[in-house]
Amino acid sequence: MNKILAVIKKEYKVIVKKKSFIIMTVLTPVLMAAMMFVPVLLMKVGRTDKTIAVADYAGGYIDALNARPAKPKEAKKKGIDLNAADQQQAMQQGGRITFQPVPLAGRDAAALVKEYEQKVLRKEVDGLLLIPADVKAKRQLAYYSTSVSDFATLKFIESTLRTAISKQLLLERSIDPAVVDEATREVDMETFKVKKEGTTKSDSGMDYMMSLFMIVILFMILINYGQMIMRGVLEEKTSRISELLIASARPAHIFYGKLLGIGLAGLTQVAIWIVLAGLLVTRFSGSIDAGILSFLTPEIALYFVVFFVLGFFVYAIPYAFIGAAVNTDQEAQQFAGVLSVLIIVPYILGISAIQNPNSALTVGASLFPLFSPILMFMRITTAIPPLWQILAAIGLCLLTIWGLAWLGAKIFRVGMLMYGKKPTLGEMLRWVRYK
Amino acid sequence: MSEMALALQDLVKDFDGKRAVDHISFAVPRGEILGLLGPNGAGKSTTMRMIMDIIAPDAGTIEVLGQPLSESVKDRIGFLPEERGLYRKLKVMDTLIFFAELKGMKPAAARERGRMLLKRFQLDGYEEKKVEELSKGMAQKLQFIVTVLHDPELLILDEPFSGLDPLNIELVKDIMLESRRQGTTIIYSTHLMEYAEKTVDSLVMIHQGRKVLDGALAAVKADYGQRAIKVQYEGDARFVAGLPNVASCRDSGRELEIELADLSKREQLLRDLLGRVVVSGFQVSEPSLQNIFIRKVQEGAGA
Repeated sequence: MNKILAVIKKEYKVIVKKKSFIIMTVLTPVLMAAMMFVPVLLMKVGRTDKTIAVADYAGGYIDALNARPAKPKEAKKKGIDLNAADQQQAMQQGGRITFQPVPLAGRDAAALVKEYEQKVLRKEVDGLLLIPADVKAKRQLAYYSTSVSDFATLKFIESTLRTAISKQLLLERSIDPAVVDEATREVDMETFKVKKEGTTKSDSGMDYMMSLFMIVILFMILINYGQMIMRGVLEEKTSRISELLIASARPAHIFYGKLLGIGLAGLTQVAIWIVLAGLLVTRFSGSIDAGILSFLTPEIALYFVVFFVLGFFVYAIPYAFIGAAVNTDQEAQQFAGVLSVLIIVPYILGISAIQNPNSALTVGASLFPLFSPILMFMRITTAIPPLWQILAAIGLCLLTIWGLAWLGAKIFRVGMLMYGKKPTLGEMLRWVRYK
Repeated sequence: MSEMALALQDLVKDFDGKRAVDHISFAVPRGEILGLLGPNGAGKSTTMRMIMDIIAPDAGTIEVLGQPLSESVKDRIGFLPEERGLYRKLKVMDTLIFFAELKGMKPAAARERGRMLLKRFQLDGYEEKKVEELSKGMAQKLQFIVTVLHDPELLILDEPFSGLDPLNIELVKDIMLESRRQGTTIIYSTHLMEYAEKTVDSLVMIHQGRKVLDGALAAVKADYGQRAIKVQYEGDARFVAGLPNVASCRDSGRELEIELADLSKREQLLRDLLGRVVVSGFQVSEPSLQNIFIRKVQEGAGA
């Protein structure tokens, strides 16, 4: 037992001290953070408090602009798409906009525009909104600014004025103000509907992206740690350290110690990522896309750990086989390539799994132990499968690992001491029977 | 407690139909140094690997320290494999601690003894260096330290002197002798018989998988009598082999090792030599192990 511990300790320390380990550990959360903040940051780019001068020739509309409509309650709901049509919401998340009335004093629009062009250039104001006297009839506004791509602000102005004009038109036709309010509220309702549709869409897009992102990470670390074991075993074999090891401890103990040590290093990395992700999510929940917030739940983190551990053993043992069976790096890479393809299969299947998470193929494949670590996790991130299926996948994986570990210790024992020729599959099977 | 540190009985190992070890038996009493001698490919390493349970014998039995090899017995053995190898990325001290822990030693004790041995081998100051940063000679020394670090009762050393410079060969020899004084049993293989002559208590000679000779060094030499004459010379000595009364002659270029059919006629040999080569030394001596080995092999081939 102490010897297994010694091997675990040594393998763990060697990996954790590697530069590549430290870089990966740091870099992945940076990517993760980028995924969380970039959508929000992009929206915030160049956005500060603004002052927009309003030349209100029609009269009365400036009040409508400054009297910002009350926030709809659903703003806090999950999955609000910040880039879509909820202008007020988007704008409130942006800077405060002050609409400043321009004293008209009989000046005509052309002169005013000329004057304000200079002010805009000197950044005294951020823009000039020109509301012509005939806005009601022509529905034509003019906006002058150095930046006319501030989508959210423009949408806000447009919609506010549209509502104000509608209201005014209705009031002019002597319609009961209560009815007018009711009518404008209906317009709001309509916007809300559209938004809700958009929300659903963008939400699933975010889910898809996050799920893909996590699966890419899972896939990457499984291959990474698998190859690490393979190279480690191969190094022991080619440098003949294996003889010294086997002369000191039971081969199976060395093999298990190796698996556990490297696995623990992987788990450490995953744990660091989860803690960092957790910190990011709780610390900056205000400025993180709500879609991500609803995706990164503790359950997902737990399943990530579970399927990382299962996947690690399911793939690492075959990688160790390769390391023990071959004699050179090139041979190892050839076989490892074949194994990587095997790991890619569930990944490809997973793309259809997202669309049909409950199809027979998906369910079947996600229970198959060589695929389940990636595929079952993918299903969990998109549409939670029935619990029995998750447990079945975990159970089957454990059984497979148990079998592989038994087989692995034997192949390790013989393969480690076979130098020179490349063994055939038949020979490897004979190794299993070797005492 | 068994008197024998190691006992091999009828050991056989075949590789792909070729017999690498052919019914080898020998035993080593505790506290002795045994040399396993023979040319490259004789089966020395295969025998040692079987002792260490690295490969399984096809037939025969092995008893180590009075019992079949087990996990706990392994802890009491220090093994230096023929092909040296350590983790290239591991630091020197971490290497020592890891392998000592594999032998059941506590890390603190391993560190302390490791420091002492590193100093002895002039590797102090390299504790935090990675193995790959060491020169080949240093790595060889480190490997030897790994072998003896846990203070084993039995040392099994496969070609312990290969890859070492003369100074370090002396150092390794000193440590081996020191260990023996403390009761350690040592078995080492070498194809360089001159080294063996100076250190072993007993020897086993192997040729093509078969044991050709074994016994205590003194007894082996006594068996082969005092028939050898060593001549230091300069010149062309090819004629010597054809002289009457010369049973065998081994010419090393500046030294002849001659066996006479009749040792009493050695003055005739000296007379024959004088005048044809410049003789700077002439003495009757024990036959060298090398010569005994060659004769044994020739006898075997003739028989």
